[in-house]
Amino acid sequence: MSNINGKVYAMNVITPMKPWKTWLLRGFFFILGHIRSLQSDLINLHFIEFARWVIVPRHAFPYLGEPQKRENLQYDYLLFFSNFNGTWNQYIDAFSAVLSRGLNLIWRWSEKFPGSVPVTPFKSFITSVQFDTDYFFSAYPEATINDVQSAHIVESELDSLSKQSAALTPEEFRAAYLQFVLNVQAHLGSTGTAPEVF
Amino acid sequence: MSKLNASDIQGFAIRGYNMPYARYCFLRFTGAEGARALLAKLLPLVTTGQLWDKKPQTTLNLAFTFRGFVALELPLATLISFPVEFQLGMKSRAGILGDTGENAPEHWESPWQEGEVHVWLAINAMNPEDLEAEFQTVQSLLESTGGALLLGVQDASALPKDGKFTTQEHFGYTDGFGNPDYLGVCRKTQPGQGKLSADGKTWVPLATGELLLGYADEAGELPVAPVPHLLAANGTFMVYRKLRQRVGTFRAFLNHWAARYGEGDSFAKEKLASKFVGRWRDGTPVELSPDRMDQSIVQDPNRSTNFQYAKDDLAGTKCPLGAHIRRANPRDAFGFEGRLIHRRRISRRGLPYGPPAPPEDTSEGQDTEALDATDRGIAFMALNASLARQFEFVQQQWISYGNDARLGNEKDLLMAHHEPGERYGIPGDGSPANPPLFCTALPNFVKLCGGDYFFIPSITALGMLAMNLVDPR
Amino acid sequence: MPSQSGSVYGLTLLCPIIDDNDAIPSHDLQIRYHLSTLSLGPDGPFATAPGTHLARLVVLDDVVYVGVPSCEEHLNSKYLVFESNCDGDRDTYLTGLARNIPDQLDAIWQHCIGYPGTKDLSAFLNYMKKCQLETTFFFAPVNDKSVTQTLSALQTQRAVAAFIATHQSCSAAYLQKDFKVFIDRCAHAPVPRPAGQSFHRQLKTGGRNE
Repeated sequence: MSNINGKVYAMNVITPMKPWKTWLLRGFFFILGHIRSLQSDLINLHFIEFARWVIVPRHAFPYLGEPQKRENLQYDYLLFFSNFNGTWNQYIDAFSAVLSRGLNLIWRWSEKFPGSVPVTPFKSFITSVQFDTDYFFSAYPEATINDVQSAHIVESELDSLSKQSAALTPEEFRAAYLQFVLNVQAHLGSTGTAPEVF
Repeated sequence: MSKLNASDIQGFAIRGYNMPYARYCFLRFTGAEGARALLAKLLPLVTTGQLWDKKPQTTLNLAFTFRGFVALELPLATLISFPVEFQLGMKSRAGILGDTGENAPEHWESPWQEGEVHVWLAINAMNPEDLEAEFQTVQSLLESTGGALLLGVQDASALPKDGKFTTQEHFGYTDGFGNPDYLGVCRKTQPGQGKLSADGKTWVPLATGELLLGYADEAGELPVAPVPHLLAANGTFMVYRKLRQRVGTFRAFLNHWAARYGEGDSFAKEKLASKFVGRWRDGTPVELSPDRMDQSIVQDPNRSTNFQYAKDDLAGTKCPLGAHIRRANPRDAFGFEGRLIHRRRISRRGLPYGPPAPPEDTSEGQDTEALDATDRGIAFMALNASLARQFEFVQQQWISYGNDARLGNEKDLLMAHHEPGERYGIPGDGSPANPPLFCTALPNFVKLCGGDYFFIPSITALGMLAMNLVDPR
Repeated sequence: MPSQSGSVYGLTLLCPIIDDNDAIPSHDLQIRYHLSTLSLGPDGPFATAPGTHLARLVVLDDVVYVGVPSCEEHLNSKYLVFESNCDGDRDTYLTGLARNIPDQLDAIWQHCIGYPGTKDLSAFLNYMKKCQLETTFFFAPVNDKSVTQTLSALQTQRAVAAFIATHQSCSAAYLQKDFKVFIDRCAHAPVPRPAGQSFHRQLKTGGRNE
């Protein structure tokens, strides 16, 4: 069991919500989903590979028939699954520092949420509602989202250069190659192991 | 915010003394009673943070490792309330800090290898004679109380040039810039050292709690601190690292790559050196002046640290993305007006140790082997309210790793421990004066010889320790 | 459709686990044990079957009790959570799993109620659909590249960095010639296997100390 694979951390969180509050949350997610600019802060944090929120209404837990007993719950549940780069502390520190309003809009409907600022009670809350991953697979654990984005840029630039290259004289090619280097120079970081966590 | 009581805070925690000589003494307590007797005798000599009418000739300060507190027989509830990383000590955190290979603890020197240092006792001085006199005083107290053994000392002193003391270090860089401003701690703040205000227009000091325990920090709460409150308040954590510098290796590396950079002349060499660190060796910040040294910026406190990266240098064509000062303090390079950085700042203290290296333009100055064989470097200290969140984070995520700077696994060129196959990239901007360059075959310029984590208590706390009055509840 | 973001699909399944008092150890523990032995490398199930960027399997024991004044309540079943970030759409992806790793799927899902096995593909897909939860909000900053494209790009990035570093001062003719060789090599390089680099993490470190 490990929440960590290479450079990625798999966080699982489950929180209870009073069913009438679930609709407010759905409304917020609807807006977020349709206004990409609201997601810009999340994108600019540059450490989430994939994340999802799943509202599970209390009657919607999958029921496959006898002999399974149906669930009989008072609360709806909000599941959160994140695949992020960096350490657990770094991740929550960053959210608390720059995304507290957005976080509050998502989790204030959950019971006993203390708010995302200040950070220490927020971290205690997350510790209490986080559950651990049994098996976490990544097809590219040696790479972060930054590495992946850089890799795509490099590949696309290489493609462009190689398409032009055959038709150029050596001097012309050198100039094109220099431009290529300038375009990829900030995207050549190596991949590999993650720092040892604390 | 509450007004700071400078008479309760050890001076070393809140001021750089600007004294050119220092001797760091490392002690091990012999027993709790003797230790307390020693502390009681040392207490009147400890320098506080009060401003001086007349600058003293020497100062004296004390800090303790976790093992030191254990040796003082502090109550268990207090001991276990210290942060985990402090309890473990720097030796156990080696993997986390990237202190591997030749920097691993098994290659450290005494007294660090054994992990038995309890006390850091620092004497700073204006001249060697007064330093020796103060040291004699300390030694006689050690003898008369029998409270501790002297495990070793580290002498350090500012490097001289033309008969005056400089703030240069052994590779030739002018150091001493960019310590953070904290609310209530500094007399005069300097633009660029604190954080940007909410409107992004002015520089304001960081919250006091980023340095000192017991005050509000940047997260809007009191930093996690050990109990009792009186033991922790006005104190701070310190990391001490003895970093040996291979001046020969550095000069050879610089010369090798300078020949392949730009015109390959002596100007190219200085420019390349500036791209390693983010400041020219004379202290000019590359971000403000990427093409030439400019002492007028260095001498002007309104400009020497007043710069940012996000507006027009996100690509790193002025100050490379992996340059040392950009790694250690990314300012606004990660967006969000720098809000991701405020809780990752550290205050640096320290002095070079070892004899000054012969000038670069002499034959001894180019004898790589002889230069590397001499023990010289930096006695590096950093102060912060939380070792894990501040120093350890910067060392692990920004110095020994590069993902936040979008550099993957790349590391700080001069400071980090390098594996074969690593590179250091200097982005170009398309003009012939600023070509891209990728340095390969990176050697280890710096070797970690040892160190540990310490706590610098307030004067009140020192008194409690001396009188055995630490009561966790 | 909330589960789809560009070309990436966010699949969330909650599969009820068999509750049998006569099973020793219980089925949820058997799943846990089995998962702890599964390889995370290129021979693991999700590396062998196509299309998985990142995926996790978690045994959800119960909901959480956050303390008064909230009510304490409990789930009547335990669930196997399968959260996958994959290429394509649900049915294509699941069909790929069923076709490529039927035994590995059985080994895990045999402990779940109503699991029909992979032999009857439509029964299998139906079962998965019954267990599927609708993703309310799916965030995928890079959502237009497949697993294969990503692995290939990472390999290219490594090769390009090495090429640039070793061709910093050579003649224009040589550069162009060598570049052509390099491009040919890149074009013919096999796509690396998923999870080709796996890591052993020192479990003794770690802690939420702050």
